[in-house]
Amino acid sequence: CSEYQKALKSEDIAVKFKLGTELYDAGKYGKANRLFAQIVPGYRGKPQAEKLMFMYSNSFYMMKDYYLAAYQFERFEDAYSNSEKAEEALFLSTKSYYNLSPVYSKEQKETKEAIEKLQLFINKYPESQYLAEANSMIKELDYKLEKKAFEIAKQYNKIANFESADYEASIKSFDLFLLEYPGTTFREEAMYYRLDSAYNLAVNSIKSKKEGRLNSAITYYKSFAKAYPNSKHKETADAMNAELTAQLSQLSI
Amino acid sequence: QDIEFNNGKKYVLGDITVTGNTTFSPQTVVTYSGLRKGEEITIPGETISNALKKLWKSNLFSSIDIYLVKTEGDTAYLEIVLVDLPELNEVTIKGVKKSKTETLIKDNKLTKGVKVTQNLLATTQNYLTNKYRKEGFYNTKVTINTTEVVDSIQKSRVNMIINIDKENKVKVEKIAFNGNDKISDKKLRKAMKNTKQKNPIRLLKRSKYIKDDYKEDLVSIIDKYKENGYRDARIISDSIITNNDNTISININLEEGEKYTFGKITFVGNSVYTDQQLNSVLRIKEGETYNGVELKKRIADDSKPDADDLTNLYQNSGYLFSSINPVEVSADGNVIDMEIRISEGKPAYFNNVTVVGNDKTNDHVIYRELRTRPGQLYSKLDVIRTIRELGQLGFFDAQLLTPNFKNPNPNDGTLDMEYSVVERGASQIELQGGYGGGGFIGTLGLSFNNFAIKDIFKKEAYKPVPSGDGQSLALRLQASRFYQTYSFSFTEPWLGGKRPVQLSTSLSHTKQFLYNPITRDADKSKRFNITGISVGLAKRLSVPDDYFTLSQAVSFQHYNLKNYNTGLFTFGNGYSNNLSYTIGLSRNNTFTDPIYPMGGSNFSVSAKLSLPYSLLNSIDYKALNEERDALDPTDTDDFKRMGEIDQERYKWLEFYKVKFKADWYTRIVDKLVIKSGLEFGFLGAYNNDRGVIPFERFFVGGDGLGNYSLDGRESIALRGYPNQSLSSQDGGTIYNKFSLELRYPITLGQSAKIYALGFIEGGASFDNFRDYNPFTINRSAGLGLRIFMPAFGLLGIDFGHGFDALPGQTVKNGWETHFIIGQQF
Repeated sequence: CSEYQKALKSEDIAVKFKLGTELYDAGKYGKANRLFAQIVPGYRGKPQAEKLMFMYSNSFYMMKDYYLAAYQFERFEDAYSNSEKAEEALFLSTKSYYNLSPVYSKEQKETKEAIEKLQLFINKYPESQYLAEANSMIKELDYKLEKKAFEIAKQYNKIANFESADYEASIKSFDLFLLEYPGTTFREEAMYYRLDSAYNLAVNSIKSKKEGRLNSAITYYKSFAKAYPNSKHKETADAMNAELTAQLSQLSI
Repeated sequence: QDIEFNNGKKYVLGDITVTGNTTFSPQTVVTYSGLRKGEEITIPGETISNALKKLWKSNLFSSIDIYLVKTEGDTAYLEIVLVDLPELNEVTIKGVKKSKTETLIKDNKLTKGVKVTQNLLATTQNYLTNKYRKEGFYNTKVTINTTEVVDSIQKSRVNMIINIDKENKVKVEKIAFNGNDKISDKKLRKAMKNTKQKNPIRLLKRSKYIKDDYKEDLVSIIDKYKENGYRDARIISDSIITNNDNTISININLEEGEKYTFGKITFVGNSVYTDQQLNSVLRIKEGETYNGVELKKRIADDSKPDADDLTNLYQNSGYLFSSINPVEVSADGNVIDMEIRISEGKPAYFNNVTVVGNDKTNDHVIYRELRTRPGQLYSKLDVIRTIRELGQLGFFDAQLLTPNFKNPNPNDGTLDMEYSVVERGASQIELQGGYGGGGFIGTLGLSFNNFAIKDIFKKEAYKPVPSGDGQSLALRLQASRFYQTYSFSFTEPWLGGKRPVQLSTSLSHTKQFLYNPITRDADKSKRFNITGISVGLAKRLSVPDDYFTLSQAVSFQHYNLKNYNTGLFTFGNGYSNNLSYTIGLSRNNTFTDPIYPMGGSNFSVSAKLSLPYSLLNSIDYKALNEERDALDPTDTDDFKRMGEIDQERYKWLEFYKVKFKADWYTRIVDKLVIKSGLEFGFLGAYNNDRGVIPFERFFVGGDGLGNYSLDGRESIALRGYPNQSLSSQDGGTIYNKFSLELRYPITLGQSAKIYALGFIEGGASFDNFRDYNPFTINRSAGLGLRIFMPAFGLLGIDFGHGFDALPGQTVKNGWETHFIIGQQF
């Protein structure tokens, strides 16, 4: 019987606490976590509880069980708001939320939650040493949400060959995207693809709708050219504009 | 002593004593009452009554009194006298079966230690009375007695005895109507769906009287009149007479009123549709009998989401905010003029269309399937269809798909749409070992239906397998002493992500050894190898409608024999190649759940063709055929020559195969669905001298599960007969099958979908077209059960009774049991 097994079966919470702390310090978080889980109720209200709860929470974090880590750290910060570890705990809690955020192409419930929690952290500890990291996490998560919306709109542009109604969906999605994320890093790309969709919609249009569509595509070109005069897409955009203008003048003949 | 309430005197509260029959400590009681020593109170006043209220609210006491014991100067001393409510000790229920009592106790929460309040007694009594009345025991009487338990424990406790006297079921002897001239008693009785007169012939619906259902039936009677133009019909009175023989009679007095007809119907407020267009949907003409029920249905039919009614006419063309109200403008001379007032509102366009709940499946896989796109005009039909098609992807639980309308804005004419999905396990793992075919057979099968091949080298994507791109990947290895098969297949539904062109590829290799009777083991020197590859493309069409799919595939199989002399092959050392092109057209609009479709149809027609080699090469197959016919298979030399001829004939397989299959799903009532099916297949040769190949043939009978197929054979299910028993030894070249299957779901839950089925079917296979007769079929009927669990796939069992004799036998085949794994009928 190893020491660990003995401690697990032991009735003495002090033994568990001692060995748990040793294991924790040695980086064996899984084993430490099991011991801590047994003694958390026993230490409730006792002075050691503060240290124990922090180690307990952190062991979840280290085991990458971020759901529980986020919850336990939040509880810690709530219960020991005067603790010197409170700030760190809340930060680690937000970081757990951050780690739960999935790839942009899946549901972003956790991402939004993480942004919310990070914002709360920044509001509560505006002088925090973790501020820079928190800000960069928010930035990264925001980027994720932008990327998601951008990719969805771009997909309408991509699959539009199959159903031309999708060009309209693409234009509308980019419109909504630019409205919702005015400062997005995808702004240039979004404006370009919006132009591309409008261009394709216009040149493949039926006669009765052609003039209006050509005009609106030219408007999209103008706003793109104005915003990004040095864009890498400039050449293609200029060519589209030339074609659009040519077709428009042909119509008016 | 009569003290005016507002004339209360102010006191300071002194000691409070607690007396009476209670087990609670005085301190607890006082704290709970909210009274505090030293507090200033008015007597009489609100503080005391609040204390009383609080104590009563605790539901712990049967009697609570607060007395003013004495006053000393301005100090008041109170006494609280309490009697604890008795706790429940034991419950005995008489009059019902023992097995039922437990559920009754649970339903009423009659657990030990519960405080026995008057309320508890009354609700229990009501609950039980109603429960049995609902089951048709109209005369049920429930009495509850409590007796105090006297023992050493100081607590007051009672035993409860519940007496349930159900008496006999009450049947309805007679339902009589008074005042009906226009509609006969019989028709009115028929209109009463729940309450039926006693009738020994009617088996499905028992005669019973349940008050609530009866009330509903009275409404049905009036509806019946309304459907026939009697708009004013009403029930004047109804009475229930209890007869002596446990039956009741119902007398209904009614007044029919006058018959009305539709007058002029005018539309007001319509600008999008003309009166004529609206009339063609409404289909009600001036002079027709007034039918309020039908009118309501034509305006908005709540029973079907895709009904052909006025509301949907508007809803399907963007008018989300429209409303339609019929108003009677005059009723002169029993002719009702209607005005249908339409408020069209602005047409609504989708703004954001989003999906939530996809924690496995990537956005692009879902968004490309949505039929509602940003900027597009709202259409209810598109929303319904999106839900249907998301269900068919098989990645989500079809029962839990919901469209959420968000931020509808009638002023701007916009709305957001959110589809909420719930992922379900789409992967199946099959790992089995078993004894069969003279040895151990091990199978490892993996099939991933929502695979992401691009993540195959990403370590973090393995949770447990890379998923979310909607691809499917299957691997299967099977090995025993006598054979080994390896197969691999991969499908990408949107090749390149640009358009719905499905790419599917598969590779397979089978090795088969002959049995060696001396070593009683596989003889490795006698083997038969089959190697195959196929590549297919399937394209969704938009013409004639967008349920159509056109598919094409090229496949190649190489058969290689070494010392493999069996009855099947006349050439033991040789080979055969099968290069074919398949083209198919299919249409599938079944919905919603692919496991349990509730409607729609699925049909497919396909042709599989090889090249017409005999036209291109200069071999005289006629001569070969004649030579072969003249040979004697029992003669060694002749047999050898036969092998040579056959090798020449089957070097490259030359054939064409045509198949047709159709299934219809029709909902009858509720979730009862009937599936009717039709199948046909034909295998032919371009050159009759070269002959119909012995490969690719049809084998009818049994469960239809594909065993390892040596020769490209197709197993056609026909329950009630042993596997492949209805075709000749070498297989049929033509077959047909008809079937009818009635299905009813037991549960369509997330973790398991179970349904029961009953079927009748018939089919036959023929060796050549001359013998073909679609009506000489082998018939069968039977019952079965299907269980679908996400991790296991489909499991099922069928009991089929074959009414016809197997070939070469004279008595009918009788009962057969079939086990179904992973395949649907």
